[in-house]
Amino acid sequence: MTVAIILSSVLSVLVLVLGLVLPAINSPTVPFGVRVPAQHANDPTVVRQTRVYRWRVLISGLAAAGLGVLIYALTGETLLLPLTVLLVVGAWYGCFFLAHHEIQAAKAAGGWYEGLRQGIAVDTALRTDPPRFPWLWLAPALIVTVATAVIGVLRYPSMPAVLVVHYGARGAPNRLAAKSVGTAFSLVFVQIGVTALLVGIAAAIFFRSRADIDPARPVGSARWHRRYMSLGAKALLGLVALIDVGMLGSSLLMWTGTVTSWAPLVVVLPILAGVVVAVVFLARNNRVRDEGEQDTGLTHRDDDKYWRGGLFYLNREDHALWVPRRFGLGWTLNFANPRAAMLLAGVLALIGLLITLRFGR
Amino acid sequence: MILNVDLASEVPIYQQLRDRIVEAIADGVLTEGSSLPATRSLAADFGINFHTVNKAYDLLRQQGLIRLNRKTGAVVTPTAADPSFHPEWTARARTLLAEAVAKGIPADEILTTCRSVLDSFGTTLPEDTP
Repeated sequence: MTVAIILSSVLSVLVLVLGLVLPAINSPTVPFGVRVPAQHANDPTVVRQTRVYRWRVLISGLAAAGLGVLIYALTGETLLLPLTVLLVVGAWYGCFFLAHHEIQAAKAAGGWYEGLRQGIAVDTALRTDPPRFPWLWLAPALIVTVATAVIGVLRYPSMPAVLVVHYGARGAPNRLAAKSVGTAFSLVFVQIGVTALLVGIAAAIFFRSRADIDPARPVGSARWHRRYMSLGAKALLGLVALIDVGMLGSSLLMWTGTVTSWAPLVVVLPILAGVVVAVVFLARNNRVRDEGEQDTGLTHRDDDKYWRGGLFYLNREDHALWVPRRFGLGWTLNFANPRAAMLLAGVLALIGLLITLRFGR
Repeated sequence: MILNVDLASEVPIYQQLRDRIVEAIADGVLTEGSSLPATRSLAADFGINFHTVNKAYDLLRQQGLIRLNRKTGAVVTPTAADPSFHPEWTARARTLLAEAVAKGIPADEILTTCRSVLDSFGTTLPEDTP
């Protein structure tokens, strides 16, 4: 009970804080997912909508969290608490969309792009001399996974005959299984699957994603992109290592026969810490720094028509699979690319397989 | 190398790509043996059709500035004097200079512009050049 409340509260606060700080760390020329020329980045509409958005996020986020707690207090149903987090996310997107809609309307009414020279800039060196993938950062994840497997092999003879393989929402074990290689090492299989999946995604983004170079200041923008790619890959690999640490901790509880209501925290806390560190690192570097580069006179092309709701990229003519997010951190898929559907289906299938391996009877 | 394309320009995109690459060779950013990205990845980076990039690369190949190879891709070729190039280039330069004269730009200003453009490529002129 207590664990579910703590986790839901921490996640809700995390979403709320992220929602509040996002306008400050996003590109100033893409406020709320609307592409605007640099001279309109501080337009009164944008400034007003940013202020209104923050108030809306704060009020609706607190209301959503309060509603979740109230429902829990009335029903005592712990499963409803994670739904509170989804409610906060939904409230955040509603606030985002309202600001997005208002700015888009002001942009259309004011003809912000009229008379401007729109352009595209590309740094060919990103293809001919790409930055190095930080493979060394994969070492912690591999070490933790190998260590988990080795500890498991050494402890296997002394493990209890019956193992706890699942905890319920109230933090009590609700599924037991007879000791076997499949049950004892189920979390090692999860470690291997998650590590392979996330490293694959990190490498795909690193080598295949398209850089969004600012044609007004392309040199500084390309330099930032290289740094950000490297940082993003390191953040993701660090997160993988912490997910594996969570699996190691959970495996140790299972193998030693330790039963505690705090068991879910052993898995979730390292992952949560990894997410927070990754978000902080990416957020601190999410904006291109002004290095005094001379303006080329070109403006980033208005590509709003390819973004649905300011968040989802759909462009059939674009062969790129990964593109930088317009609002938020990191990258997103080109959902009009058939490979995106295949990738999503593959990820869902893998998650399903892992869940079956871990929790299937 | 940064490649810029102006979408509002009357110059077609393939021509702009070709021009930027020629300028990069003149600037010394691209030297003999420098590789250019594969047509598909450059097209994906620009978000344009790969036939557009193909057309630009083909122009450069016809002008002897790059060679295209299945294994090595597009590579900048060694600078070599082409006897047929000079008369053709002179004709184009004549039209360009004629435009400046027709628009009333003084001759000394035209020369200064030519000199500054050459300077930007790091080309040194003989000291007695007016």
